[in-house]
Amino acid sequence: MAINPGTGSNGVSGTTSNGKPARKRSVIGKAQTKIDTRDKVRGITKYTDDMVFPRMLYAKLFRSTVPHARIKSIDISAAEKYPGVKAVLTGHALPVAFGIMPVAQDEHVLAYEKVRMVGDAIAAVAATSEEAADEAVQLIKVEYELLPSIGSIQEALDNPDTQIHSTSENGNIHRSIAYEFGDVEAGFAEADHVREDFFFYEGNTHLALEEHSSIGIWSADQKLTLHSSTQNPHYLHRTLAKVLEIDQARVRVIAAPCGGGFGGKCDPFNHEIAVCKLSMMTGRPVKITLTREEVFYCHRGRHPVLMSMKIGYKNDGSITAFHNRTVADGGAYGGHGPASMLYTGVLQTTTYKMPRYKFQGARVNTNKAPCGPKRGHGTPQPRFGQEVQLDKIATHLGLDPAEYRKSLLVEPHSLTANWLPIATIGLKKCIDKVVEGSGWKQRRGNLPHGKGLGIACSAYMTGAGTAIYWNAMPHSGVQIKLDRSGCVAVFCGVTDIGQGSNSMLAYIAAEIFGIDPFDIRVVSSDTDITPVDLGSYSSRVTLMAGNACVQAAERAKAIIVEAVAPKLEVPAERIVFEGRRVFDEEDPNKGMTFAEAVILAETQFGTLGTTGSYKPPKWPGKYRGAGVGPAPTYSYCASVVETDVNPHTGIVSVPRIWIAHDGGTSINPTLVMGQVEGSVYMGLSETLFEEMTYRGNRNVVHKFPSFLEYKSHTSNDMPDIITYLLEDPEPNGPFGAKEAGQGPLLPIPPAVANSIFNAVGVRVDEIPITPDKVLRAIRAKAKGQEGRVGPMRFPEVPYPDPIVVATPDDRDHVVATGKEPVGATK
Amino acid sequence: MFPAPFTYVRPRSLDEALHFLADHAEDTKVLAGGQSLIPLLKLRLVFPRFVLDIGRLEELHGIHEHGAAIEIGSLLRHVEIERSELLRRAAPLLAETAAEIGDVQVRNRGTIGGSLVHADAAGDFPAAALALDAQMVIRGKAGERVVAAQDFFVDLMTTALQPDEILTAVRLSDMRARFGPRTGTAYVKLRQQASGFAIAGAVALIALDASKKITHARVAITGVNGIPYRATGVEAKLLGEVAGDSLITSASQHAADGIDPLSDIHASAEYRRGMAAVVTRRALSKAIQLATKS
Ligand SMILES: Cc1cc2nc3c(=O)[nH]c(=O)nc-3n(C[C@H](O)[C@H](O)[C@H](O)COP(=O)(O)OP(=O)(O)OC[C@H]3O[C@@H](n4cnc5c(N)ncnc54)[C@H](O)[C@@H]3O)c2cc1C
Repeated sequence: MAINPGTGSNGVSGTTSNGKPARKRSVIGKAQTKIDTRDKVRGITKYTDDMVFPRMLYAKLFRSTVPHARIKSIDISAAEKYPGVKAVLTGHALPVAFGIMPVAQDEHVLAYEKVRMVGDAIAAVAATSEEAADEAVQLIKVEYELLPSIGSIQEALDNPDTQIHSTSENGNIHRSIAYEFGDVEAGFAEADHVREDFFFYEGNTHLALEEHSSIGIWSADQKLTLHSSTQNPHYLHRTLAKVLEIDQARVRVIAAPCGGGFGGKCDPFNHEIAVCKLSMMTGRPVKITLTREEVFYCHRGRHPVLMSMKIGYKNDGSITAFHNRTVADGGAYGGHGPASMLYTGVLQTTTYKMPRYKFQGARVNTNKAPCGPKRGHGTPQPRFGQEVQLDKIATHLGLDPAEYRKSLLVEPHSLTANWLPIATIGLKKCIDKVVEGSGWKQRRGNLPHGKGLGIACSAYMTGAGTAIYWNAMPHSGVQIKLDRSGCVAVFCGVTDIGQGSNSMLAYIAAEIFGIDPFDIRVVSSDTDITPVDLGSYSSRVTLMAGNACVQAAERAKAIIVEAVAPKLEVPAERIVFEGRRVFDEEDPNKGMTFAEAVILAETQFGTLGTTGSYKPPKWPGKYRGAGVGPAPTYSYCASVVETDVNPHTGIVSVPRIWIAHDGGTSINPTLVMGQVEGSVYMGLSETLFEEMTYRGNRNVVHKFPSFLEYKSHTSNDMPDIITYLLEDPEPNGPFGAKEAGQGPLLPIPPAVANSIFNAVGVRVDEIPITPDKVLRAIRAKAKGQEGRVGPMRFPEVPYPDPIVVATPDDRDHVVATGKEPVGATK
Repeated sequence: MFPAPFTYVRPRSLDEALHFLADHAEDTKVLAGGQSLIPLLKLRLVFPRFVLDIGRLEELHGIHEHGAAIEIGSLLRHVEIERSELLRRAAPLLAETAAEIGDVQVRNRGTIGGSLVHADAAGDFPAAALALDAQMVIRGKAGERVVAAQDFFVDLMTTALQPDEILTAVRLSDMRARFGPRTGTAYVKLRQQASGFAIAGAVALIALDASKKITHARVAITGVNGIPYRATGVEAKLLGEVAGDSLITSASQHAADGIDPLSDIHASAEYRRGMAAVVTRRALSKAIQLATKS
């Protein structure tokens, strides 16, 4: 169904509001240095662990060595007596449960009744040195009553009585959902072919180089400040007030410069709350910096997901219906899990025309480190399955996989079967770019055995349509302050985790005020000082904070124009801001410096300040859960991966990757390229190497949770990446921008799998694709068996009855005929 | 990730070190390059009372050549072995093996003695020592003894070295003096991507006579079993035969005969068995090529 395109309010269109052609941009769209790069490169930037406060104490956590047990006793007496120890904290002091999502409040700062994983924190020590805290922690004694432990999706389903959380929906099923959009069975009946494939995607972790670090400071005036390496100071702010039971107005969270997040620093963490409590107990600043081992326990990485995908298609390949079943292994806690679970299904409709869609999803708990939002949050797993399945269909029908995909694309400005609003879509151009660049048409099919080319596409949200807790307030706010010095200060709650969101604000403000990005001071991520921004997740920052910044800056500019125009005796619409000057468009000599213009305005109107805010549009779906999936717009991506598969060792090397990204207009193309290439790196590494492996029935992660055991790509393993940016403006984005940070990861795993099939004719329907699996598939094929490695079955999952929703096309049908379509009860 | 507290001791001579060990053998760990010991300390898998740093003992440094006999001080670092002109000529296998270890940082600090005594299941030097018939020179309070590589590796991370002893040197012979002028060696391993340790590694030493008949065949495998081993099944198939591709391929199939391969998070037993054959085949063909050329 077609919907109206966006309104183009953000300077996208070729003309300005007064109908004149837009002036050339001087900042946006040009390669720019990041405003914080120089300090970072020279090692001047202070990360949390670099900060030292007078009288500061150091904290360490005592962590469980067993995966599932009731706590019989905790003996902290020896630790308390250890020289240098100032406080020892146990969970009884902090009984309030928390979790980032209102529906999943199942975490405690320190476990006191039960531990649910190896690494669960039980006690915290604050001492005058890190070494003393570490020694004291080793003196803590905990007695456990061991419980059977759950190590996999199957074990979770098979053992509902060994319940990890009493608050779960059903046994160890933490949450589940089922939707049916249109009559899927009727769709299968209409199809010429129906196939079902099973896929598995193993969990993996973020591997940000900076370990989590936090400093809690309780002051004599009963105010709390937390410096932390977090992506989401806003949600952390709310959690601190709740768990510590203090007024939110007395809590201040400052997100320090961050050494990488990728979703791993989104949740409020127990150590962040523990240092605050320890500071309240001792009256001294308390710091904790986790070890790499502890970061593996924090995890919140990619969920392992088992998938069953059933698809009906016609002889020409067009899809008649799709039925997607998923089960995610959530690990020990909820976290973002309810959302992650939904994301294993809701975006399946955003790339290819799919008239009817059924999705059943479940998330189970296991006694392993908790999973959560890793770059792509819940969507790389089903994207892998879907894109590999399309490749199988193309093979079956003898279609070119690239052309086939082009024949299926959703229309711009339309609604999907599950009511997601598609805005602009540049996917066809993306496919053309990578097909052209890779020599797909000439090379594919003419390569020697062992060499292959594979293609896959993706879509990703540019910001979630809903906040994590229900509210009707803006998702992002910006305040701009200008004064007689000519300095422009931009205040915003955004958290720069290295992606460059502070710089983005400077570029936008600089463009609007006609000054240099380095003229602007960006003050960000401080809950006392900056307006709320929800955080660095969901690829939301550029679009939402960017739009808020456009609004605040345009408002400030209007004030300046109002003072300048009469002074220059020029009509307001002729006033131009450019090259640090404000002048008459028709007579550029008639003007003044930007600082002089601000002085005029300050003289006339008093202290200058404006605000801007952004709230995403209301989503069109009316069913329960319709708020997960809609976004102001989606980014699109296509990638071709070249592989070199050694048939004797199963080792896959990737010499080259072509990727085209529809991210709207690039605010700074250099940073967009960085995001695209970083996503390719991360996607490739998790495709070929990375996995959270747990040993035996003890559920201990890795042999030693460390970089020595966790395999990840380094620059040595990186292929050549040929990146194309489409640069087609999106009317809903600031200056036409969409997201770039997550979408480009998604096509990589399936494109590698499809490329391996092209190279050696075998299917590995499982991530990671290790040499072991490739070789097994090759050997099976050589023996005349099916050349495939992957799950052979999908378990019985007690999904709830589906919520049946008429698709938008069904609705149109009702309007046109007055007859209810089959299955459309809502 | 802090080690348990310990007392650091730095002896000024080998004798002083041995004296200290004689009194404190059971609570002391000898520290050489630290590339294996420091991680063990930090993980608190070992918590000695004393750490005896032998790293600066001059007696344990240097390479000496007496005729065809070569003696390598146990403190020789991987990088020194990799770059030694003498070894590149007389025992190229050792130089080649050193170059395959871990990464630059590890090679700059790790020592051959530490690597042999640590006896990691996937260590590179132990396999080379087996193939080259290296002799371990060991000093204890009772004096010096020499143990053949064959008898030195006892079990996973266990050697014939006693707690009060120090490995002072490794002895071997000039390769061509020992096995003849047409000798070739090679080391091929499949690396675990994060650390560089072998998932399967094969050392091959092949000597040919003028008619290309194999007069010596040594194959040692690492990473597959708890300790490195000689693949005697492969060696038996090769000995006395004329070197050729199909011989190598069929002989390599016996690389893991009688072995119950390790299975862990990096590779399954089945995969390791298959890879033992693959690396053996590659190492053999490289070694034969070099033997033919020389
Ligand atoms: C990231 C990383 C990657 C690595 N990759 C590889 C690899 O690919 N291949 C490989 O083979 N190795 C690898 N290693 C291990 C490395 O080779 C170590 O250097 C070596 O195993 C130990 O040598 P060292 O001098 O550092 O010994 P140390 O760590 O100092 O000591 C190791 C052990 O040997 C004992 N010891 C040392 N010297 C003596 C002596 N002279 N007499 C008696 N006892 C002694 C110590 O007490 C200790 O128990 C890697 C290590 C790291 C950290």
